[in-house]
Amino acid sequence: MSLHRIFTVEELATDESFRRWVMAPTPELDRYWQQWLQQNADRAGVAVRARELVQAVHEIYKDDLSDDMLRHEIAEITRIAGERKAEGRVPFYHRAIWRAAAVLLLTGGLSWLYYTSHNTVAPSGTGQKITLASEMVIKTNATEVEMTVLLSDNSVATLAKGSSIRYPRQFSANERRIYLTGEAFFDVTKNPEQPFLVYTSETVTKVLGTSFRIKAFEGDNTEMVAVKTGRVSVYAKKEYETSQGSIPAGVILNPNQQVVFNRKDNKLEKSGIANPVLLAESAVQKEQVFDDRPVAEAFDALAKAYGISIAYQPETLSNCMISAQFNEENLKQRLNAICQAIGAGYDMEDDRVVISSKGCN
Amino acid sequence: MNQDEHISNASELNIRLWQRFKAGDAEALGQLAQTHYRALYNYATKFSSDPDFIRDSIQELYLELWERRNFLSETAFVKSYLLKALRHKLIKESIRLKRFHEPQTAIFDTEPSDPSIETNIIEDEHIRFRNGHLKRIISLLSKRQQEIIYLRFYQNLDNEDIASVMGLGRQSVSNLLYRTLKEIKDIWAPAEFFWVLLFLLS
Repeated sequence: MSLHRIFTVEELATDESFRRWVMAPTPELDRYWQQWLQQNADRAGVAVRARELVQAVHEIYKDDLSDDMLRHEIAEITRIAGERKAEGRVPFYHRAIWRAAAVLLLTGGLSWLYYTSHNTVAPSGTGQKITLASEMVIKTNATEVEMTVLLSDNSVATLAKGSSIRYPRQFSANERRIYLTGEAFFDVTKNPEQPFLVYTSETVTKVLGTSFRIKAFEGDNTEMVAVKTGRVSVYAKKEYETSQGSIPAGVILNPNQQVVFNRKDNKLEKSGIANPVLLAESAVQKEQVFDDRPVAEAFDALAKAYGISIAYQPETLSNCMISAQFNEENLKQRLNAICQAIGAGYDMEDDRVVISSKGCN
Repeated sequence: MNQDEHISNASELNIRLWQRFKAGDAEALGQLAQTHYRALYNYATKFSSDPDFIRDSIQELYLELWERRNFLSETAFVKSYLLKALRHKLIKESIRLKRFHEPQTAIFDTEPSDPSIETNIIEDEHIRFRNGHLKRIISLLSKRQQEIIYLRFYQNLDNEDIASVMGLGRQSVSNLLYRTLKEIKDIWAPAEFFWVLLFLLS
């Protein structure tokens, strides 16, 4: 180490060796800086201030990240990256949709990024229906095929046959609560301030924004929750409800993990996911290819494929063309991709998707 | 060991790590993520108090880099670039949350006004009598001033990197930093001045 003369508080406080001496001194650093102080006795006052500055800033801005948590997070990043690579899925997208394609490859967990920049939809003036916000809506899938249900927070539930969900027409401010009987895949819009809770007869699943499947048919001995993206907490319902106020003991699931609740011994058992089909929104692959087609055509095709209605203004969209290819993407991922490509936004209201766009040039 | 040799060994290791990352080695991503994870996490806690949200955001940031690895250059993993990308991500989200009328608890924000520290200090009886406890002085700075002090003295970035992270001109960073340090200096009496001085010289 060479002895260099440093003259200001700022220079000292940003010198790597000085900072290490203040924060994590070693005998070697001690020797060096004591020697420095003797040779620069006129700088002792500056050194004291620099020392206090470094310490103060580290005390004010300290955080609570433990070594364990750090190791866990790095392991998670490594694991998920490895899995994404193994999937080896590289769909082909035309240039117009390239930016959107990047979003798709990152899976639906990123959809919140999209809303932050594009959600400019004003409440559309369709009918002044007077409804109680707390009024419960019940959707039951009595058909032989899957049913797509659009929720008011822009989340999507895909109901398997013979399944039903119940939820308030408008979610309360501090949570989004849904009751499920049977099986459904959820693609949830991220909102850390308003957790999304799925109640079944035996479990409560809590998420901030993610996609996952729950299987909880009455009469089955087990219930199952499987996670595709994001982080999910699953609790035995009894424990969740008796622990109001304190934090209930539950199981945290990361992507590609599942938990099975066994009714007989009232226990949650966590494992990897054996059957990747569980992680698809739909059991039937809905392949769609749009090669430089009017975007209205794409919306109509989407509406048909998912059995939902999509409202848009044909005149505004008349100049918008789209090129895209979808295989395993969820409904929300498809909507995000198309809307982002044409600079539009969307909202889910009254069981339909409402597109807002200023048109294309 | 010779200083130059030390440096060339270190950078050679990085080149190898970089090549493994480019070739799709997930372990290499993990090692690259490890380098600045603490710095990123700490910075994020100044914008959000939700640890789950912070961990998800950083995870997403690195997985985005992973998905785009074929198009990236080494600079993507430079600390100031990562801090900038994360800041952008977090602010976007907090703007969205404002739409939901959520209370803002962020320590830093994008508020452009910087009232002189004296305006804040006049209100603060404590500091007038104690005359200059550093931690208290810093906490009374404007959010933008605090962020500059934080990036300079916690993250140890230079003015150019601070300008890039905060999206300001280099000259404005240098002016604001100068003014802030001067304001601090004017009212700061080091708490343990004499005691530490004696200790250091003994």
